[in-house]
Amino acid sequence: MSKKFFVGAMLLSLGASAFDAHADMMAPVFSYSISSGGLTVNGSASDFGSVRQLAPTEWFFQGNTNALAGTSLSWAYLVDPDPFITGTFSVTNETASAREYVINFSLPISPSIEASTMSGQVAGTLTDANGSGSALLTSIAGGNVYTALADELFVYSLMSGANHWVSNPFGTTSFSGGSFGQGTTLAGPLVNDTIGIRFAFTLSAGDSASFSSIFVVNPVPAPGVFALAVVTGLIGYGRRRRSS
Amino acid sequence: MNRLRQNGMSCVMALAAVVVVLAPTASAGFTSVGAFYSVSSSVGGGNLINTAMDTTPVSWVNNGNWTAPSASIEWSNNLQVWNQATGIGMVNVNIVIRNNTAAAQDFTLVAGMDGFASGPFTASGSIGGQYVNGSATLGMLTSSGPLWSAIADSSIVNTQLNNALFFAQPFQVVSLGSFSFSNIQFGGGISDRASIAFSMRLSPGGEASFTSVFSFQVIPAPAAFALIGLMPLVRSRRRR
Repeated sequence: MSKKFFVGAMLLSLGASAFDAHADMMAPVFSYSISSGGLTVNGSASDFGSVRQLAPTEWFFQGNTNALAGTSLSWAYLVDPDPFITGTFSVTNETASAREYVINFSLPISPSIEASTMSGQVAGTLTDANGSGSALLTSIAGGNVYTALADELFVYSLMSGANHWVSNPFGTTSFSGGSFGQGTTLAGPLVNDTIGIRFAFTLSAGDSASFSSIFVVNPVPAPGVFALAVVTGLIGYGRRRRSS
Repeated sequence: MNRLRQNGMSCVMALAAVVVVLAPTASAGFTSVGAFYSVSSSVGGGNLINTAMDTTPVSWVNNGNWTAPSASIEWSNNLQVWNQATGIGMVNVNIVIRNNTAAAQDFTLVAGMDGFASGPFTASGSIGGQYVNGSATLGMLTSSGPLWSAIADSSIVNTQLNNALFFAQPFQVVSLGSFSFSNIQFGGGISDRASIAFSMRLSPGGEASFTSVFSFQVIPAPAAFALIGLMPLVRSRRRR
């Protein structure tokens, strides 16, 4: 009995310390970058907004910037270094000509992941914000609009060869950009440092687009952890048999 | 011949005088006195910040947010336009609303352009959006009545997404679709505000984002139409 009590107390203590460790975690440096016309602006997603801890391992970032001339960008993202990235950004091309944009969101993870499953999804809207009678959003050179990244390397992509348009003044169109790893198990990447999502597209003059997206990496316990769990189960079974 | 010429000249002068009198009633009279943002939520009170910037003589851009302890609304590049020369006005609202609480919450946002203008108007607009469920349980986005409304003063010009009901599995994105309207006439003018209102309930961890526009254009008065119709007559007389 005293052994059980001791083990229970140990586990409680471990659990509490683990929660405390999460609660004391600093907000991750969730960063963004936006490039267009040979210029790049980047920084922490909290530089032009705020960050708030919502749960022991979850932070909410929101903000907006006009730092890239002729472009307005705003975001609202929930991130977890465990890890996942989910949220929405909207961008408006305030110039008089179509522009190519590459927008990155990157999240440092902890701990590193040796084996994983993953899932992701993207959907969005395009609006003729200047009432010109048309709006156009396309992928750049037939590439992908959404690319999931691990350690800044390609993991999965969506919206290949995208071509969405609005043909009435002040009109809006919405699009579902597809998903992966939802409802099925899809092997994920090894991740040492970061996960991220990259968006690359061309947006017509004076118009707005928004993207809501998700990228989740679920760590899969290593074989050693499985073995430990099996051994623990066997020990417990043996002890119950002996006591009965 | 001289008499004909004199008659034609006097007719043109009379018409010019009518144009001077009619033109203001057709397109002017609007004065924008700034942006209006209002948020109410079952979450409670929050801190609302909006920064309006005059980008051209006829347009303003608004960036801002409303933040409560566990909920937020973010907007950026919300354009407001009133072009007296063309008689076209526009309110553009791009927003992201997030419920970070552990319970379903109601949100109502009104974003508008304060001012006044003489009608009647013809209206058009659109809305599109997404719903993200950032929680580990089934998520829901609903509205009791219209989720989106285009409003002139206190009169509703158009509504979309009536009695909305959307579900999303954990960590999934749902496209809410896109909806447009055009050529809806409303009269009487605007004496206070042209605005867009969003009203919805979000389940815990839910995030809804929208891009939307409400535009309106002055319909030229009948006298102005008549004037346009008379112009060819005057020209033909002058040619004769």
